[in-house]
Amino acid sequence: MIVLNHLSKIYDGMAVVDELCLSVEKGSIFGLLGPNGAGKTTTIRMLCGLTRPSSGHGTIGGMDIWKNRYKVRRHFGYMAQKFSLYPDLTVTENLRFFGGACGVERTQITSRVCQLLEQTDLTAKKDAMAGSLSGGMKQRLSLACALIHDPEVLFLDEPTSGLDPVHRQELWTLLYNLSHEGKTLLVTTHYMDEAERCTEVGFLHRGKLLAKDRPDLIKDHYRSKLLELQVEPQMPALLALNQTPGILGASLRSGWIRLYASHPEKFLQEWQRQWPFPALQWTGHRWATPDMEDVFRAYSQGFDGVLREEEVQP
Amino acid sequence: MTLRLPGALLSIAYKEFIHIIRDWRILLLLFTLPPAFTLIMGHAFEHGDLSDVPTILRNEDDSAESRQFVDFLKTNKAFAWKEETGKGPIPDLLHAGVQGVVVIPSGWGKGLNSGEPIPIQAVLDGTDTTTSAEVEGVLDQALGAFQIKLRDEMVDNMPDEMIELGKKIPEDFRNKIVSTMAQWTVKTEIVYNPKQKFIDFVTPGIVGLMLQLLTVPLMAVTITRERENGTLSQLLLTSLRHWEIVVGKVLPYLGLSAIVIAVVMGLTHWHFEVNFPRPWPLVLLCFLFLLCSLGLGLLISAFCDTQAQAVQITVFFLLPIIPLCGAFAPLDQLPDAIRALAEVFPLTHFCRAFRLVNLANAEFRFLLGDIAYLSLGALATFTAAALLLRRTQS
Repeated sequence: MIVLNHLSKIYDGMAVVDELCLSVEKGSIFGLLGPNGAGKTTTIRMLCGLTRPSSGHGTIGGMDIWKNRYKVRRHFGYMAQKFSLYPDLTVTENLRFFGGACGVERTQITSRVCQLLEQTDLTAKKDAMAGSLSGGMKQRLSLACALIHDPEVLFLDEPTSGLDPVHRQELWTLLYNLSHEGKTLLVTTHYMDEAERCTEVGFLHRGKLLAKDRPDLIKDHYRSKLLELQVEPQMPALLALNQTPGILGASLRSGWIRLYASHPEKFLQEWQRQWPFPALQWTGHRWATPDMEDVFRAYSQGFDGVLREEEVQP
Repeated sequence: MTLRLPGALLSIAYKEFIHIIRDWRILLLLFTLPPAFTLIMGHAFEHGDLSDVPTILRNEDDSAESRQFVDFLKTNKAFAWKEETGKGPIPDLLHAGVQGVVVIPSGWGKGLNSGEPIPIQAVLDGTDTTTSAEVEGVLDQALGAFQIKLRDEMVDNMPDEMIELGKKIPEDFRNKIVSTMAQWTVKTEIVYNPKQKFIDFVTPGIVGLMLQLLTVPLMAVTITRERENGTLSQLLLTSLRHWEIVVGKVLPYLGLSAIVIAVVMGLTHWHFEVNFPRPWPLVLLCFLFLLCSLGLGLLISAFCDTQAQAVQITVFFLLPIIPLCGAFAPLDQLPDAIRALAEVFPLTHFCRAFRLVNLANAEFRFLLGDIAYLSLGALATFTAAALLLRRTQS
């Protein structure tokens, strides 16, 4: 449904998106992951035809994202990162406006608006000003507006940013339903639990797609073992371990310090012989299975030593 | 496809209309400012005859002639006289609370009869250049009229011997003397604004300035607001074309401005008795000028990143227009370079064409240049705004 072929965007000599190759199947939810500034928003803006690609090209349903940008618009909806609706218009007025502007037939707008209000559970709020809605409702309204013309493809730029877990869950339920209806979704996110819900995820870092796989398979990209330690006091321990040569990084997970290193078992053997930090008290260790966050951290912080060596196939 | 267009365009016009009616502050401004401004500016520029200028009239002479002149001056309504007698230094105007001092010097009456007339002294407040010049004119006029009055009295009371003597002068020379004794006059016929009503001159300025002061800033924030809120990207992703967005945004303002024009022109007609004998050419002019102003606002809007920038640029743009548009002062006296600059502003063309229609009853060909300029201006600003719309924030 979506195919990107060596798509690049260069601002002031810097490649914000670098030779991006990607294909997204119809009906799937593709999660684009990456740290801030990785080029996720620029990628979506190019897909939407709001920014002209510097080189390469992409298609949505076979239509070029730049050359056919006016035509292709009818086939996708876009939900921006920031709340981008009219706060002084009511929920219904926002929906009706976007319906009219997107060329929905006059006779169909009313029924379409009703349907979307129901789908996004906003019927009770239909006459409230959009600006007065809570964060979760605002996002649902944004989603409804993006869906007003019943597009086949939906681009969502960090749709859950700023939402509490309950509202994130609600929104994801909606996204699942859309995917079941056969719509193709491309979502950018920072949340690893959300990434796990996608049918496929891609890691974008400095404009490059570093990995792309199914969530359950992408965890296998982390080839090393993961050692977790219990050390007191925690914060100085974290700092000391982070600075130890050979350890790529350390993070705190539910009271345990998780170590990223290409051969953690070597460190364990050494420490069992002699613990090098007399001021810190080591009380226990265990082995952990890498999850999405570990893979994300490894890719975004360049822990090449722990990752499977392979080329990303577009 | 063609059936879809009006609907999409109307939906953006309707949305823009809701923005306006939801913002009661702006709405209040739109409906109170034009009539209030019209009344204020109309009365400020109404400019009737000079009257009741506080002036000290000191008669140091106290002769029959000076008393006669004082009585004569007192009939003039231009002054509110404070009479003084006796001598002394001329008082400071500010301290005396007057705008002028007129002194009839001692020996004035005698001088009139001895063949060596002494000038009357006048000290006038120059802070207000218009009033001082007018007061001077009124004084000159009064003195002239007084002189003619004395001459007529002298001729009436001329002794018979003198008349006999006069008959001995050769006729053509005698006629010449009579001619030079009479006041030579210009018989003026003023056309186009025969009553010389200043309000008729400034009406286009009031209408035009009002439109520009309201529409340009309002329009200037419409696109920048969308850019700031992030809604512009959403708008650009709908099926709306750039020109549809631009036209759709302008439509409600066009309607509102039409009401503003009607209110301002209605007020000038009923309150200030300005007539609009040829309404249709004026409607055309107002429409074109309005498009130009809205286009300018849109252009500023499409060009700026934030609403604050848009408002600042609008203010800087509107400031030079006020003295340079020819609405309140004629442009002919301006230096060439400044005049050329004045010709850039749409309001200059609007004011000129409006007066040509309303006062001079000019034929269409006299308006052609101004109409062409306004049309091109509207077209250019709209096109530029539509092109600049794609410049979204990255």
